[in-house]
Amino acid sequence: MKQNKLSYKIQQYLLFGGPGTALFLAVVIVPFIYGLYLTLTSWDGVSAVKPFVGFQNFVEAFSDGDYWAAMGRTVIYSIFAVVFINILAFGLAYLVTQGIKGQNFFRAGFFVPNLIGGIVLGYVWKFVFNRAFVAIFNSTSLLSTTEGAMFCLILVSVWQYAGYMMLIYVAGFMSVSKDVEEASRIDGCTSAQAMKNVTIPLMRSSFVQCIFLSITRCFVVYDVNLSLTNGEPFKSSTMAAMHVYNQAFTYKNYGLGQSEAVILFLVCAIVGVTQVLIGKRGEVEA
Amino acid sequence: MSEVILKGIKKIYDGDVTAVHDVNIHIKDKEFIVLVGPSGCGKSTTLRMVAGLEDISDGELYIDGKLCNDVEPKDRDIAMVFQSYALYPHMTVRDNLGFALKLKKVPKAEIKRKVEEVARVLDITQYLDRKPKALSGGQRQRVAIGRAMVRDPKVFLMDEPLSNLDAKLRNQMRAEIIKLRSRINTTFMYVTHDQTEAMTLGDRIVIMKDGFVNQIGTPQELFGKPVNLFVAGFIGMPVMNFFAGCNLLLEGGKYYAEIRNVKFELDEFQQKALKSRNQKPCEIICGIRPQHITVGEGELSAKVEVSELLGTEFNLHARSGDDEVVMVIPTMDLNTDVSMGANIKFTVQPKLIQLFDKETKNNLIWYDPVSAKANAPECARY
Ligand SMILES: Nc1ncnc2c1ncn2[C@@H]1O[C@H](COP(=O)(O)OP(=O)(O)OP(=O)(O)O)[C@@H](O)[C@H]1O
Ligand SMILES: [Mg+2]
Repeated sequence: MKQNKLSYKIQQYLLFGGPGTALFLAVVIVPFIYGLYLTLTSWDGVSAVKPFVGFQNFVEAFSDGDYWAAMGRTVIYSIFAVVFINILAFGLAYLVTQGIKGQNFFRAGFFVPNLIGGIVLGYVWKFVFNRAFVAIFNSTSLLSTTEGAMFCLILVSVWQYAGYMMLIYVAGFMSVSKDVEEASRIDGCTSAQAMKNVTIPLMRSSFVQCIFLSITRCFVVYDVNLSLTNGEPFKSSTMAAMHVYNQAFTYKNYGLGQSEAVILFLVCAIVGVTQVLIGKRGEVEA
Repeated sequence: MSEVILKGIKKIYDGDVTAVHDVNIHIKDKEFIVLVGPSGCGKSTTLRMVAGLEDISDGELYIDGKLCNDVEPKDRDIAMVFQSYALYPHMTVRDNLGFALKLKKVPKAEIKRKVEEVARVLDITQYLDRKPKALSGGQRQRVAIGRAMVRDPKVFLMDEPLSNLDAKLRNQMRAEIIKLRSRINTTFMYVTHDQTEAMTLGDRIVIMKDGFVNQIGTPQELFGKPVNLFVAGFIGMPVMNFFAGCNLLLEGGKYYAEIRNVKFELDEFQQKALKSRNQKPCEIICGIRPQHITVGEGELSAKVEVSELLGTEFNLHARSGDDEVVMVIPTMDLNTDVSMGANIKFTVQPKLIQLFDKETKNNLIWYDPVSAKANAPECARY
């Protein structure tokens, strides 16, 4: 049979899968591997020579106090942001699936912050915190204190992502069969019990997805960080990604920055994947 | 005691769609009531109002003597079996069965005992630790029924519980429901659009159309005394034959039905009924069940177009004038040629002819304005 020949299969694969694979290789895999290679050099980001230094960069990265301080802040920021993003998103999704008037309008409205983009959002909120709130409450800006800056960063991220995660939860709510929910009410559930015993367990995959997405996004937050606080005051709101950027491009330690980025990637991947594995256990296909 | 009384129940969706008009049903304790009717006639809506899943727009619902219009479903002490089964996909069969008891804070040991007893009765013991996904349709159906059974509810509601099963399983489950009923002995409300189910299961049947109740009665009453053309056509297989353009004649103090210019002198009870309501001669539609026709001798004639032998009987589709007439003829002692194309003579006993007013479509004998008013004031419309 012609269809079973290896050459035929390869030909078919190249025809249909080839363009996609080539693009993916060119813009993701090759840069990633090249990036891994750069972690082994002491390249400064501009010069033509890339001296090979072995694992020196990783040794330095592990002893870079600023980096680990930024990493710690990122973890704290991520925990708060992920929790609040998901609580808010779930709540909004619940509200806009109850058949209230104009719920499509509200769905779209809550989604809008996600379309604006982190940089613009950061500047908008910076204005709100630095000018509007200061003028209204006649106080100093929240952004000028250490805790305040962190708080603002979390607040803006929650505002930014909640609408997006809401859409996933909305899909989750709609996938829960109405009959099953009604059956639980006839079986004796109050609406809170129906939510806890039936709706939430059946929406487990939505939770897994949303938590994964919000963790991976929060861990690598950069744009809002840059435009809202720019790491101020006193670097107290510098997140890991911003530290990596500064290391590579401001201090011209490209190799070091790159290896710190790889560590960030690994941390983020491990947390995210662990969460998915735990969450997927016991998940049901309805 | 668990009577269910629907008093002038009405359902208006979104302010303009009236799905159920003024339904009055008095369901006695431990009675098995079946709601039947064509698709979209409001059966499910009525049932869901009894369950509390749908608000009642107007009227009063009493369960066990208590006004239940505004009682939450969980407080009505009813159980319901859904057409889609609506099992909890994330729970094992055991947890599905025991869920309602768990919510009622019944002790664990007792839940276990009850669940296992129900599982034994329904023959699903070996599936107790599976998830619903790993069950066949029939097994899921049993679990759904079991989930309602463990609760010992006042009223057992079922919305087309068998319609997702294949024909063989459906017959089997129908028998199961009859057995179940004798065992748990409670009030049942059962929705179906299958008349076989309705006739075999129901103590009484409620026939609905377009949101109106047309007739409430025992299977025998519906079959023998249909109040209007719709009920007559809906109950019975094959469908009743209707002869249009007939006349009710009154000659010499006696009523005659004239079909195709042949006069049938009506039976004693028909005479009486017509006289008592002082019926004037008029144009009528005559209804004759296919099983009531006798072939061989007779005043009426037809030409056989299709002849189907079904073992003990023939189904004949014959043409008589403008009407197609379906006849079910026993093969035993048949000495007439009923093959395709044959010309046959046939007749019917006058007492088996149903007489419908051409205008109102109501049965001249059995339509009773008083009880119709009690069922639903506007049900007279065909
Ligand atoms: N949520 C709703 N909003 C508006 N109209 C509805 C709604 N639900 C049902 N209806 C209408 O009410 C009428 C009765 O519906 P119902 O579901 O009770 O029919 P049914 O007798 O159960 O039919 P079937 O045999 O197809 O299940 C239908 O005309 C339907 O279109
Ligand atoms: Mg229905």
